[in-house]
Amino acid sequence: MDTAMQPDVLVIDDLQKHFGGLEIMRGVDLTIKQGERHALVGPNGAGKSTLFNLISGEHRPSGGRIYLRGQRISGLKPEQISRRGLTRSFQITNVFSRMSAFENIRIGVMARHGIRFNLYRRIKPMRAINDEAHALLQQVRLDHRADNLASDLTYSEQRALEIGMTLATGAEVILLDEPTAGMSRDETAYMVELIRQVTEGKTLMMVEHDMSVVFGLCDRISVLVYGRILATGGPEEIRSNQEVQSAYLGEEEEH
Amino acid sequence: MRYALIAILALLALLIIAPPLLGTGWQYALINALIAALFAAAFNLLVGQGGMLSFGHAAYFGVGAFTVIHLMQSVEYGDIPFPTVLLPLAGAAVSLLCGALAGFFATMRSGVYFALVTLALAELLHSLAPHWDEMFGGEAGLSSMRMPSLGFTFGSTLEVYYLTLSWVVICIGLLYAYTRTPFGRLTLALRDNEQRIRFMGFNAHGTKIVVFAISAMFSGVAGSLMAISNETANYSVFSTQVSALVVLHTFVGGSTIFFGPIVGACVLSLFTFVVSGVTHSWMLYQGIIFVLVMLFAPKGIGGVIQAHIEQRHALPWKRLAAPYALATLAGLMVACATVFVVQSLEIVLSREYAAAVARTGEYAPYTVFAREWQVFHPFTWLFPVLLLVPGLYLLRRAFARIQTLWDKDDDDDNGDIAAAPRELMEGGH
Ligand SMILES: Nc1ncnc2c1ncn2[C@@H]1O[C@H](COP(=O)(O)OP(=O)(O)OP(=O)(O)O)[C@@H](O)[C@H]1O
Ligand SMILES: [Mg+2]
Repeated sequence: MDTAMQPDVLVIDDLQKHFGGLEIMRGVDLTIKQGERHALVGPNGAGKSTLFNLISGEHRPSGGRIYLRGQRISGLKPEQISRRGLTRSFQITNVFSRMSAFENIRIGVMARHGIRFNLYRRIKPMRAINDEAHALLQQVRLDHRADNLASDLTYSEQRALEIGMTLATGAEVILLDEPTAGMSRDETAYMVELIRQVTEGKTLMMVEHDMSVVFGLCDRISVLVYGRILATGGPEEIRSNQEVQSAYLGEEEEH
Repeated sequence: MRYALIAILALLALLIIAPPLLGTGWQYALINALIAALFAAAFNLLVGQGGMLSFGHAAYFGVGAFTVIHLMQSVEYGDIPFPTVLLPLAGAAVSLLCGALAGFFATMRSGVYFALVTLALAELLHSLAPHWDEMFGGEAGLSSMRMPSLGFTFGSTLEVYYLTLSWVVICIGLLYAYTRTPFGRLTLALRDNEQRIRFMGFNAHGTKIVVFAISAMFSGVAGSLMAISNETANYSVFSTQVSALVVLHTFVGGSTIFFGPIVGACVLSLFTFVVSGVTHSWMLYQGIIFVLVMLFAPKGIGGVIQAHIEQRHALPWKRLAAPYALATLAGLMVACATVFVVQSLEIVLSREYAAAVARTGEYAPYTVFAREWQVFHPFTWLFPVLLLVPGLYLLRRAFARIQTLWDKDDDDDNGDIAAAPRELMEGGH
């Protein structure tokens, strides 16, 4: 898709983060366009997860600003950011392990409908909530696992569930941290297809190490190295960028 | 589901019909069991569902008790008219407020730190209460009398029993209904993964405060009922023992199941009632039960019952009957041996027995199991060994057999579950 004409959804301006004396984020500038699929790549320890933690409110930035649709979100709490329409998944599987797959999703649907302190109604007859949860479960192709405990799902099913939970909150901007990590080739292909389908019409930002996934799925790519964005551009641009070649891609190929 | 409803209704009918036929001692014991059951259910909302282990829940139980004693005094002196039947509402309200306040601070931390904050708050009350006469009546505590209301005099234990039963049934019903609400589901999600619910747009701290406050509120109702029943309360309701006892009840019953703690509280408090009348060592027996349950049935009595109900169609009951009977027999043998040793030691090591020996110069026979035993007779020592050794051996055998029968059944089951989705997955691609 041509995203150049689209409005900016997420704007990161001179973002900095240090843990103690350790500078992890050293002035990141990044703009994510409405509706694009944006990959964040970079070597281990570059600060990709930290950047997600900063955007989603897990950590407070040490400096700089983050805007979501023009509104400043840096400094807000995770739940406030989530309610403004930005949700994330985690690098390690992070589900409600002792609840069923269906219930995992339904908690997200409750969030979307603003049902937070409802103690006076039974949830079972809440048609809209339950139907929506079922539909989402179907969308991530886990409907046959609805009643299984999340902890009983296979690893790749759990990752799909994660994505379902992220979608359920109704977020327009979705951050996925290595959704295909640790998956076989087949599972990865399956997951990429799933992500493509469910993020249709939404804005996606994902951390991904697998370059074939990145080049196949994403419209634009940013390369993060030691807390700075080295380059941002389309797949061709990134592939042919000399600096990226030497700093990252070349290094990857040596493995 | 229908069977569960029938079972509950039958139990309820029994609880309504039986007590008039019992003596006041048993009526009183049942009142205490009901109160313990409500307290454990309220406590388990926090622990089992919310995933927050409190070591200071006596605080909210005690606040409910003292609130009601104060109110009863005011009613007694004619200051305020307040019907006796509705007294627990006042205890609930004050405990809810205290719970919200304490919960606000305690839930800022989790795990061990949370437990320590709750413990410290209860200890604070426990050490403050004896020195604060107006509020807690000093060391002696406060007393009052139940006033007649709505046509009941509340003079007899039986009337107090029915009042307690009504409140406990309503409150446990409400606690169960809680689990079926959206917030009840959110509570479970909070237990499983607090971080995730924050990133899904929920205020985790606020959620935890509400769970804490509601748990405190129902604990306060239990405390209120205790105050109404005893017509008195003193600082010892805030003691660590009270906090520890509800933990014991909850885990013996099983905190992962709604009805577990209720079962645990009823079983243990009735056990205490019966056994403490017979022996001083009842706390030791309670401790032994706790350790055994934690070691061999970590999901508690409730967990064992639930496993049987869930597997009822799959279990080979006919083949299980023999090993179950054997396990019961062997268990009784081991229990007899243990009780014999504990009771013998209790008597022989007692001060009275030592005094008698010093006075007469001889070791008099003592009585256990309605039989006389000589301290130095070999059979006295052989008897428990003869029960214990074969008992343990048979118990092991029986459990090994039970295990294989259960596992066999489990294997079949897993096979089925694993096979189904694979087919579905392949069909779906
Ligand atoms: N809370 C923290 N406290 C201190 N240091 C941290 C913290 N979080 C991250 N770091 C450090 O920041 C650096 C970047 O970590 P981060 O997890 O963001 O890397 P990443 O790019 O996601 O790497 P990977 O590809 O391995 O997931 C690492 O050196 C890490 O040790
Ligand atoms: Mg990372």
